[in-house]
Amino acid sequence: MADCSDKIGMKEQCENHAKCMEMIQAVLDGSASSEEIEHFKSNLEVCKPCIEGYELEKTIKESLKTKVEKVCCPQATINLLKLKVGIALLILVSTIVEIKIIQLIILS
Amino acid sequence: MVNGMEEFEEEELINTKPKYSQEEQYRVFDKEFMPHIDAMYNFAYRLTNDEDDANDLLQDTYMKAYRFINSFQEGTNAKAWLFRILKNSFINDYRKKSKEPSKVDYQEVETVYNSTEDAEYESTSDLRIEAVQDMIGDEVAMALNSLPVDFRTVIILCDIEGFTYEEMAKILDIPIGTVRSRLHRARNLLKEKLRSYAKSMGYKELR
Repeated sequence: MADCSDKIGMKEQCENHAKCMEMIQAVLDGSASSEEIEHFKSNLEVCKPCIEGYELEKTIKESLKTKVEKVCCPQATINLLKLKVGIALLILVSTIVEIKIIQLIILS
Repeated sequence: MVNGMEEFEEEELINTKPKYSQEEQYRVFDKEFMPHIDAMYNFAYRLTNDEDDANDLLQDTYMKAYRFINSFQEGTNAKAWLFRILKNSFINDYRKKSKEPSKVDYQEVETVYNSTEDAEYESTSDLRIEAVQDMIGDEVAMALNSLPVDFRTVIILCDIEGFTYEEMAKILDIPIGTVRSRLHRARNLLKEKLRSYAKSMGYKELR
């Protein structure tokens, strides 16, 4: 795991920034391990590029979630789908009934 | 990924012995699958960038889900199961005819972006938060739509649909580590697109 901590003061450069950003994204996505979360918390206090990266990633993620329009399925498509499933069910049931009738005829 | 699809088709979408009666099939379809139809349509639309193709892809997916309903375990993650079928149907049936400008396979895309990741980061790190905050939905959507479909897919699944890495790994048939690295590259690329839009909007580029 990337080590960006610096006990002396705020770091202006992050030597493992790509790794840190991957970890920061995992934290924002809710898929980071507890070890990564701990590292992330300590890093945010000392590493300027990571703090800025975190803020930017968070903003972009929120923009994608809230600003990008979610297109809804047209009602006509929903109706057509239900009709297709209904017809498929009807065909299945009628086929079963036909088979039963044929079996009865053969047996009799 | 085509291999993954074949494996999925053959091993997981097999019509196992009937576990649902006809009435139960209809009930499971209605209660478990239909509530996700808007999210599924949205995913189909974002993949194909075309309303007619999205409609066809959605219907194909739902009919396939109905046909193989016996391989679905009621109470498990129906949304992830449906998304996986849709993604595989898209790869097999729609990707070739899609209006998507960038039709490249995962390996090719990842090789290219692996080699340019460092340079790419340097060029995207000066995107300003305020510029992103001021963008309207259409601008963010355009940046998203301009990504190659493989990168667009991971961002849609994660940021718009809220799937976990574990769920995404199952939907995409890839290890969790690959989900993480692909998301990271996809986001770098998205930042580059957003930076271009910010520049065209006249925002100052540097912090």
